[in-house]
Amino acid sequence: MRIQKAMLVFRKDWRELRRNWQVTLPIFIMPFMFSALLPSLVVLIRAVAFVPGAPLGGLATVVKNLPSQAQNELAGLTDQQALFYVVSIYFFAPIFLIIPLMASSVIASDSFAGEKERRTIEALLATPISDSELFLGKILVSFIPSMIVTVASFLIYSTVVDVFSRTIFNGRLLLPNVIWIILIFGLAPTVALAGIGLTIIISARVKGFREAQQISVILLIPILILVFGQVSGAIIFGPEVVAALIGAFVGVDLLIFRIGVRLFRRDEVLSKLA
Amino acid sequence: MVRKVSIVSAVQAAGLTKRFGSLTAVDHLSFEIREGEVFGLLGPNGAGKTTTIRMLACLISPSEGSASVGGYDTSKDSLKVREIVGILTENPSLYEKLTVYENMDFFAEAYGLSDAQERSSRIRELLEFFRLRDRKNEKVAKLSKGMKQKLAIARAIVHNPPILFLDEPTTGLDPESAKGIRDLIEGLSAQEKRTILLCTHRLEDAEKLCNRMMIVNKGKSVIVGTAEQLRSTIDSAPLLRVVLKGMNQRIIEAVRGVRHVRDVNVENSASNLIVTVDDLAAATPEVVRNVVQAGGEVLSVNPIQPSLEEAYLKLVKAE
Ligand SMILES: Nc1ncnc2c1ncn2[C@@H]1O[C@H](COP(=O)(O)OP(=O)(O)OP(=O)(O)O)[C@@H](O)[C@H]1O
Ligand SMILES: [Mg+2]
Repeated sequence: MRIQKAMLVFRKDWRELRRNWQVTLPIFIMPFMFSALLPSLVVLIRAVAFVPGAPLGGLATVVKNLPSQAQNELAGLTDQQALFYVVSIYFFAPIFLIIPLMASSVIASDSFAGEKERRTIEALLATPISDSELFLGKILVSFIPSMIVTVASFLIYSTVVDVFSRTIFNGRLLLPNVIWIILIFGLAPTVALAGIGLTIIISARVKGFREAQQISVILLIPILILVFGQVSGAIIFGPEVVAALIGAFVGVDLLIFRIGVRLFRRDEVLSKLA
Repeated sequence: MVRKVSIVSAVQAAGLTKRFGSLTAVDHLSFEIREGEVFGLLGPNGAGKTTTIRMLACLISPSEGSASVGGYDTSKDSLKVREIVGILTENPSLYEKLTVYENMDFFAEAYGLSDAQERSSRIRELLEFFRLRDRKNEKVAKLSKGMKQKLAIARAIVHNPPILFLDEPTTGLDPESAKGIRDLIEGLSAQEKRTILLCTHRLEDAEKLCNRMMIVNKGKSVIVGTAEQLRSTIDSAPLLRVVLKGMNQRIIEAVRGVRHVRDVNVENSASNLIVTVDDLAAATPEVVRNVVQAGGEVLSVNPIQPSLEEAYLKLVKAE
């Protein structure tokens, strides 16, 4: 494996990616969507659902199910503060897994299936770049931008949350905290890799990148289960859950990549053009 | 001093076969291309030419059989094979969103030109040659079809490969550019001793450029040989064309009287005779003598060779 060959593929794909608005636009919009979504949601909940002195309503179950450590965090907070805390720290956590997942699978489907569709793959496969160098270069070009977007979204989100928490919590800043840092730098990469691996498997079977992208959307299902699980109070993103998820995704990654490498046999790619 | 003369084979295929599902695209092809040779691959659409090239360039693996390129086995040493081979694929296969220069730069580095200085001078030289220099910062998407074709050829030779696979290099090119490519192929083979596998539908190109050629049909080899050998498969009686200054019935009768002449026809341009003979060498002097004695004035006398096209059509149809 010659790293500079993998980097050559990476640089080439990166350059192409930057000029492909179909792919980059949705990825760029995501962080702004999430940073805008939060304030409006919070404002909405406060205006509609929050009546001073009333119990937390639907949130009560979530609060009850919080790990004891988190229960302690809520001790002594007003209802308004507790609401803000639960929504911004816990509710939004799984949503932040959607970002690396979507970004990485959108780019990967363009990089693998798209190159096949645009018929540029033949000249690329004819070069003396080995399978593993090609594979690594293409994984990096999907992984690095999606992590950049994830981290950027996290920074924007933290800023927005802190702007609110300064007033609600009398100057206290809620983010970043340990859980979120593990979430963004520990769990998100494993999720991004799972998205890439699955997209490679899908790309080996389909004609074009649109098809690959459409199928990749099924990847969202497990993440959405986490989101709803959290809202219903069944799953809470405490340290144990995040650690367990990292373990689970590392396992999934290993499995998926083993299959992906097998399917990405360069001499098979052109045989299955049709 | 005795120079060691060795006929080394640059490409060797043994029972090369590719199946796509139930379709056998290439069916037990065996052939050899010698070092420095220009070898033509001819055949109708869907004959399996591109598939053969893809197997030799390690782009797809054969279902059966084996091949070696430059002494390397295509299945065991594919990386080595790809290093020494330059390939012009059937589709230009260029990155449309990248510029002309960026495309060349990427492939040059991918083919091992790691020194930036060397790379940029080689690319400059090639773009100059293919008259693409003033387009070098334009996106490939904006180029015309022929320009893309030229760029793809430039890419194929960027690393000075000793072995070249060219899949229909002159399609889409204007006559002048097509001639430029033919001259390039001639030069690469004659002066630089490159081995070239040329796949083409232009028989006149094949005849002019190829030392030997193979006609394939439905994946099978029909014949391998020189243009001369291919032509000789047309076993019609030899023909002689006699161009005269004037024509009359007496001349025709005089030619009919020659011993070796079997048939005489007047060509549409009225003063040409097409003479079917048994034996060219025996008949030609006598035909000329009889024409002159009958008062005819001879402008030229030529044997008519069956064209490569005739031979090709016959060989392909016979299958
Ligand atoms: N990836 C593929 N999957 C299925 N069938 C294929 C594939 N590639 C080629 N074929 C089939 O194999 C046969 C040979 O195709 P090939 O492209 O080698 O022909 P060719 O001689 O290059 O034709 P042309 O002169 O039109 O370029 C055709 O019948 C074609 O449909
Ligand atoms: Mg072809």
